[in-house]
Amino acid sequence: MLIVQQILNGLMLGSIYVGVAVAFTLTIGILNFLNFTIPVLFMLSGMIGWSLSFYGLPFGLSEPLGWLTSLGIGVFCAVVASLIVERFTYRYFKAKHGDATEHAIPLVSSLGFLLIFEYMVLIAHGSDSRGFHTPFADLNWRFDGLVISIPQFISLFVSLAIVAGLSILLTRTKLGRALRATAENPDAAVLMGIEVNRIVPVVFVLTGLFCGLAGALFAINYSEVSPYMGDQVGTKAIAGMVLGGLGSVWGAIAGGLIVGLTETLSIYFFGATSAQVTVWGLLLVLLLFRPQGLFGHNAIGKGKF
Amino acid sequence: MSGYMSGLIAILGINVIFAYGIYVTAAAGQLNLGGAGFQAIGAYACALLSATYGISIFWTLVFSTLVGAAIGFLIAFPILRTRGVYMVLATFAFAEVVVGIILNSELLGGSMGLIVSDYIEWQSILWTTIGVIIFVFYLMSTPLGLAMRAVHDDEAVATIMGVNNRAIQVGAFALGGALAGLSGALYAYYFGFVEVQYFNAFLSIFVLLYVLIGGTQTAWGPLIGATFFTLIPEALRMGEDWRFLIFGVLIVVMMIIRPEGIVTRDALDRIWLKLKPQTNDGAPNG
Amino acid sequence: MADPILSLRNIDKNFGGIEVLRDVSFEVASGSRHALIGPNGAGKTTLFNVISGVYTPDGGSIQLQGKDLADVPSRHRIGLGMARSFQNIRLMPHLSVIENVMLGQHARPGLLRLLRPVGMMPGAHERSEALELLNTFGLDPHRGQVVGNLPYGVRKKIEVVRALMSNPKLLLLDEPAAGLNASETATLRDFLIDVSSRGISLLVVEHDMPFVNALCDHVTVMNFGERIFDGPASSVRQSKAVLEAYLGGETGDSNAA
Repeated sequence: MLIVQQILNGLMLGSIYVGVAVAFTLTIGILNFLNFTIPVLFMLSGMIGWSLSFYGLPFGLSEPLGWLTSLGIGVFCAVVASLIVERFTYRYFKAKHGDATEHAIPLVSSLGFLLIFEYMVLIAHGSDSRGFHTPFADLNWRFDGLVISIPQFISLFVSLAIVAGLSILLTRTKLGRALRATAENPDAAVLMGIEVNRIVPVVFVLTGLFCGLAGALFAINYSEVSPYMGDQVGTKAIAGMVLGGLGSVWGAIAGGLIVGLTETLSIYFFGATSAQVTVWGLLLVLLLFRPQGLFGHNAIGKGKF
Repeated sequence: MSGYMSGLIAILGINVIFAYGIYVTAAAGQLNLGGAGFQAIGAYACALLSATYGISIFWTLVFSTLVGAAIGFLIAFPILRTRGVYMVLATFAFAEVVVGIILNSELLGGSMGLIVSDYIEWQSILWTTIGVIIFVFYLMSTPLGLAMRAVHDDEAVATIMGVNNRAIQVGAFALGGALAGLSGALYAYYFGFVEVQYFNAFLSIFVLLYVLIGGTQTAWGPLIGATFFTLIPEALRMGEDWRFLIFGVLIVVMMIIRPEGIVTRDALDRIWLKLKPQTNDGAPNG
Repeated sequence: MADPILSLRNIDKNFGGIEVLRDVSFEVASGSRHALIGPNGAGKTTLFNVISGVYTPDGGSIQLQGKDLADVPSRHRIGLGMARSFQNIRLMPHLSVIENVMLGQHARPGLLRLLRPVGMMPGAHERSEALELLNTFGLDPHRGQVVGNLPYGVRKKIEVVRALMSNPKLLLLDEPAAGLNASETATLRDFLIDVSSRGISLLVVEHDMPFVNALCDHVTVMNFGERIFDGPASSVRQSKAVLEAYLGGETGDSNAA
């Protein structure tokens, strides 16, 4: 029974990773680069959400806001931050047929923004983690000896909703088809009349949205935020993306869940400090021996950064 | 010389050697985002050796460097089968695995760290750094260095010209591991204590950024990059956090206006021509 | 007659079901100046890539001075005496002329040679064959300059010099005269005649027919991946097959050349 509980916990944890993993995989698949800003977007959403619920709007414009509003604005800020990154990194990147270091320009710029946002928060707020309280944080649902906390349940539910939404977007809308076409073959996409330049901001918006929502879910689930929350989750989400296959949305979903499971079970069986080496060891082995993961194609990511 | 200055020189030396470790793999066309892993290997090898066997400092340094080289060599084979973003991720994962292993190992001190029982002065670090700088400049001036640049620029042509691409890349990885390991051992001796939390993802990111901002086209790049990013924040008396914030801004700006880095081949040639205007018959790099 | 320096027998090459080379056979006689011509898309560069080992043929064999190249990986072929230049110039744009040219020496024997500095750093001088060769081509003034900044015609010549640096017995040149003006082409022609007189065999892909006629004694013509003519340069114009290939037969539309 305890095992089933752990599995459930693992899935709940994984559902948080899913949002970030999907953001990574969309960016790699459509824009061909590994966006290192993603973990801090996740963190920004959570930290801003907390700060609004604790202090209210800056410059004393209001009383502390309710949890839902705070988180909502936090998500919005993540989207805005993502667009700022787009404006100063991807827009300047002119794809050249150059060497590894030249192709890595957007990746390197995203590392720059990682530093900027992370340290902005550290300077403004310090390195403490803070509690974030939601009215239902302590509510649990019990049946059959299993415990599912309401926050965990919401988390799983929202993640599924996001995923369902994304899937509908990608398969049933014009925008979605354009996104997939651009991911497949940017040159052909241009020929088909897709305005690739307009697609790019959309991907960044989606990135901000998914990371922001995942950050909000993290806050709800753990009743806690910290300036370092992005680092912990970011690496697991990357592992989830690789496991599922770069560029594959379904892969990212499966990957995120599997990583959550692996992490929880590994902690249960081997202790708290084993999670890191297990997940990263798995990732390393995957990258070396089956880089396309479960659903990906070998071609994606070969020339890409 | 004040303690502050000597401390600064020591840190600068360590950073320069570390940067060269990343540079040699970048010069051969690979981005290594796992530098901290190799530095940790060198640091921990040094700590273990000095504590357990009481070998002389010199030999401990040599051995730590060799451990770095050996692991770089071994890990190179599987990692070189990956390309592009996969390679970046694989090197990143490697560093995380190293850290994870250390965290979980009693022998290696786990999260408590290890004490290093010996100490070296800043002068030793300075001389070692100078030695490394001379070595890298020398290497890049040989046909081997040229072969590395060829592999970096155009693998297909390098092959046709007779270069053994795989050997060069593995060699570059091994050398990179050696230098990063050496920098870790020096760090261990100078600070007297190693803890795994220091060798984190941010450290790997920083050193890669020093190298890329400095410029990978010439051996001057990592020297300039490491010096710039070690000394300027000190000169401006920035706090820890501010210095990284500014660093981030600089990176974004550099990638927009000068992505090939501060020191490029062109820039170097132009400076050289200014210093020796009359000999325009190709005296530089002649 | 002496053994041919290069012998191609029944070379086939497919890419994903498309036959790019079909049953191509010919020999390059030792010491000859041999042209390989044909309309665009005939497969000449692909053939060069097969010969230098970039592609593995799907059928047939290649022999360099009698030695079968089937098991010889690409990077060992230059050491056996075969060097080439490229249709799209492939030099290293961030390095100087002399450094680019020195890459051609990489395959020369001697492991220790790899460890001797070649004066890449500012201020060092290197008196070597490279400089003399550059001088012959009139490239000496450029020797320290970064290649990326130089004009097309100059870079073309640098590529040829790089190929020569390996002391080849057979030189494969892919459109060496493309983009050169009349006087540069004449210099190149004279230079190649001089190279050939030192015993180096030439296999040259070209579209410039006067250049080919002035330089080469033997011609192989390809079209659509097949060899349609192989003989002395003087007989090319009489070949019906060649005329059809270039002029499109009865319809008279002009093709390449």
